[in-house]
Amino acid sequence: MSPSASNFVTHNFVVVGNPESRRIALFQDALARMHLPAACVVSYLDLLQNRVALPDVVRRGDIVRLESPGQNWEVEKALLHLGAREDESEDWLSAREVEKLQFERGRIWPSRQWFCGLKNLLQKLEYQLAQCAPHRATHNAREIALMFDKPLCHAALCESGVAVPRSLGSPRCFEELAARMREHGCGRVFIKLAHGAGASGIVAYRTYGRRHQATTTVEMIRNSGVLFLYNSRRVRVYDDLKTIAELIDALCRQSVHVEEWLPKIAVGGKVCDARVVVIAGRAQHAVLRLSQTPMTNLHLLNARGDITMLQAKLPPRSWDAGMQSCESAMRLFPKSLCGGVDILWTPDGRRHAILEVNAWGDFLPGALHENRDSYEAQIAALQENL
Amino acid sequence: MAIDEHLETFAGKTMYDWNVESGIQNPATSIPRIALSWEQSEAKQTWLDHFKAFLTGRRVADSSQKFTAFLEDVQASEITGLVVGSWQFYSGEEDSSQPVVEALVAAREKLPYLTALFLGDILSEENEISWIIQSDVSPLFQAFPNLQIFGVRGAQDLKFSALNHENLKTLIVESGGLAAQTVCEILGADLPELEHLELWLGTDEYGGDTTVADLQALLAGDLFPNLKTLGLRNSIIVDELAAALAGAPVVERLQTLDLSLGILTDAGAQSLLQSDRVRRLKKLDLHHHFCSAEIVSQLENLDIEVDASDPQVAEDYDGATYRYVAVSE
Repeated sequence: MSPSASNFVTHNFVVVGNPESRRIALFQDALARMHLPAACVVSYLDLLQNRVALPDVVRRGDIVRLESPGQNWEVEKALLHLGAREDESEDWLSAREVEKLQFERGRIWPSRQWFCGLKNLLQKLEYQLAQCAPHRATHNAREIALMFDKPLCHAALCESGVAVPRSLGSPRCFEELAARMREHGCGRVFIKLAHGAGASGIVAYRTYGRRHQATTTVEMIRNSGVLFLYNSRRVRVYDDLKTIAELIDALCRQSVHVEEWLPKIAVGGKVCDARVVVIAGRAQHAVLRLSQTPMTNLHLLNARGDITMLQAKLPPRSWDAGMQSCESAMRLFPKSLCGGVDILWTPDGRRHAILEVNAWGDFLPGALHENRDSYEAQIAALQENL
Repeated sequence: MAIDEHLETFAGKTMYDWNVESGIQNPATSIPRIALSWEQSEAKQTWLDHFKAFLTGRRVADSSQKFTAFLEDVQASEITGLVVGSWQFYSGEEDSSQPVVEALVAAREKLPYLTALFLGDILSEENEISWIIQSDVSPLFQAFPNLQIFGVRGAQDLKFSALNHENLKTLIVESGGLAAQTVCEILGADLPELEHLELWLGTDEYGGDTTVADLQALLAGDLFPNLKTLGLRNSIIVDELAAALAGAPVVERLQTLDLSLGILTDAGAQSLLQSDRVRRLKKLDLHHHFCSAEIVSQLENLDIEVDASDPQVAEDYDGATYRYVAVSE
């Protein structure tokens, strides 16, 4: 054991997350490989239901890591509950309605409500951490909230001079979107839920003269005249204007963020972009996301490619310039040890744009940088900074 | 599936994206692609500005540029090949290739050695193949009498109103759906030197209404006396084509028959296997097909070069079977 590691043993990790999550298992594995004691895990559900409070857990000198609260139905329901409103709008569920919800695979729940719940939870964590013994935190509640707020995050990136696709703002319906597209002379856009996680509720829409095409993973299901939206793994293409308008209207009611759809470079016959994990200010792990559709998000069963294929195809200095942008993007989040930055290059490889900054974008099982996975790299960065 | 990468070679030469910084590279080994870039589109420049800068070797003045810089380029007049990339950057407006064709024609005296031209090296990420709007390309053939290779992507509004050319050896029309009317114009052309004809017939969903009957004169061997390679690619009627080609006189004259990228099934492949004419070809290209492994092995056992790679699997939804050509939307 190296001297720094033995010194480090005195610092224990506290991880706030969903205990069954694979993210936590991988983090614990990383600690074990680095001969460090296992982290103490605090469950989001226990926190949300006030069965535990961080000041009772966090001790002097601990390092507190906030993990993703995703992929757990009880937690999702609790977040919707926290964000509940008692107004009549069909786009907000009341607390009582939330209590009656049953799990449905892929169902897109009101994302603004979910985000209000998340912000509420993050505030609670921030408050509790302020009451804790002196410690270090690898995440910051306000920064996480900013990363999840796509319109605000895009504006912040843009203001700080990071290359991003043009924004067409947050239209309230398809008609308004169409007007903005004409105004901007922009025939192709990505429509994303303003506060959605991952590939939830994303539509790639383009129009050309009389033609329209929407490519999406959102499935539209009508039940007694009511439209329900689901995320599916199958990519669907709609070319009929009425259906497209209906889909986009439904997403707009939840609040959306619209960006110009920039063409992506391809390698090996598939278009791609990259997920880059920036840790302690440095771009480290990079994963190539390949797709035959406009959707490159990893969990849509897309192939993960060899990043060196992209590096080889880019003109000189283009890769480095992209990595600098990823690092610049993360400078907006100085209190976050780590973030997953999505970046694309245009087909000629001469220009890049930052698509998204993901608070919990470090879950890339098997991806190594300098022989460390993203968790080991974060732990190592903390060791260096003690 | 779709076309996701630009041409890497054309007319046997390496492609590069021309811009004022890169300048013109060695014309003996490379061919420039003239495409409107994102930056230019944002700066409100057009493809025509870009092409003008290419011809003059001069930087186009824009708002960030107070003077024009002259570059010591190899002269544009030395190039032998040219690829036209995207001429519009998804503005949402329909922009046909007509102004591009006119600009090329107007530049004919500045491009005296042009022998290879491709119009529309546009990716699906830039514009779907069936959304690319072409125009009448005949003036190009009159303007460039030395042209030997001509390729075009996208068949909407594509016309060959009067196609007669003494030197053209290769004609390629890539599309997601090629209209019978366009096929008729091509087959009516006088191209005594044509050796390589490649038509991507596509699907009826995107305007591909060409039938076997429309190709009759071609199959009968009455056209293009020097034809050596025939490609009827990316087609949903490839099984019918295979049946017709099995007994078609034109195959006698061919070295290569290319029925790739389509939805060939065992039925079409059987026709080819039984044809003596097909067995006398040098090469049969069927890659991207829906044939069974057994048929593939029979094809590969033929005494000629056969490419039966990239087998596809039909998709079933709600009791119906779907087979897709390689390039559509």
